[in-house]
Amino acid sequence: MMTDNDKMNACGVSEAIGFLLIFSIVIAGIGLVTLYGYPLLMKQQTSADEQIMEKNMIVLQNDIKSLAYKTVPYKETSLKVGSGTLSVHHALTPSQSTFRISDSVGPDIEFHPGELRYESVGAQTDISLQNGAVIKRARTGEGSVMLAEPRWFYDDVTKTLVINLISLNSTGTLAKTGIGTVQMKLGETSYVSQNGAGGLTVTLDYTPDPTQDTSTAWKTYLTRNGWTETGANSYRFADSVNTLVVKRYDVIVQSI
Amino acid sequence: MARLNDSAQWIILMGFLVSFAIFFLAVVINQSTVVGQTTAESVLEFPKNDIRNIRAVALETSGIADEGDRLIVVEDITSIAQRRTHAIVSLSFVPADTRMQVTIHYNNGVTEFDEVWISP
Repeated sequence: MMTDNDKMNACGVSEAIGFLLIFSIVIAGIGLVTLYGYPLLMKQQTSADEQIMEKNMIVLQNDIKSLAYKTVPYKETSLKVGSGTLSVHHALTPSQSTFRISDSVGPDIEFHPGELRYESVGAQTDISLQNGAVIKRARTGEGSVMLAEPRWFYDDVTKTLVINLISLNSTGTLAKTGIGTVQMKLGETSYVSQNGAGGLTVTLDYTPDPTQDTSTAWKTYLTRNGWTETGANSYRFADSVNTLVVKRYDVIVQSI
Repeated sequence: MARLNDSAQWIILMGFLVSFAIFFLAVVINQSTVVGQTTAESVLEFPKNDIRNIRAVALETSGIADEGDRLIVVEDITSIAQRRTHAIVSLSFVPADTRMQVTIHYNNGVTEFDEVWISP
């Protein structure tokens, strides 16, 4: 603290130069913030929107889980779709990904999942909810990553492999930005159980949609859960399987 | 020449304090957006009633003397469990003297339950 007893030597102190110095510092500060800070802030906003959407997709996945596994007939979720659009690509859309499951006994099962897709404008990423999994992929390049896994499981006591296939359908087109509501209801379900006393050879072939390639995510998921890769996008279940249970659920996304 | 007056430095210090506080609050609020599945949903997903039902039926079935009748019930239970509760259930009954040993296995992909029960 400076007290009145301390005499400050104020020779050579000019108010004009002081003002000029402070003023230029302030202008430089404002300039730096507009040049570097503002774009950073915008980027932060886009990534926050994307994170919110990742969360929303997991919420929607939980809704689908309730519809499929807990036989809840109807689910509705309000969500905020920021810096991008959310749209339904139903299971009958041509040129989309295909899962083909075959065991050594019964007929092959061919399945088109359809998807709910969020396309971010700024971040150049797509987040898609397909076949019970949430997958994020960069729009350019090949990589994709699974944010939430589908509920396929192998019971090693009874040697049963359970594959749950969830397809998304819609009564019309649905595309949303801003605050919106996604209403879903359970459609048809089917159930196939195949017994093979000598053990079944279960194989899965995945044909990706050429424009929406999420094969890396599926590859990572499958090879981490007991499947071995036998070729490009072809997998075989490694453990011995006595019973294969394939369940199909049809979830209908209603458009308002 | 005007003397330096520094008796209001605390205002500037308070300004710094408040802006730091706001910054930290913003960081905390930003974290809240990255929560997907909550604990409550995980609790709801736990199949308590399914396991209880299957256990109750299994223990009741252990009282059936005829093995063929027991098998019919077991088949019904496993079939219903697979179709309705989406779970793989296996039950086995091993008679030993006057007692019955019941082995229950339940797996729905998220929760696994195993129990060996011996009738009194």
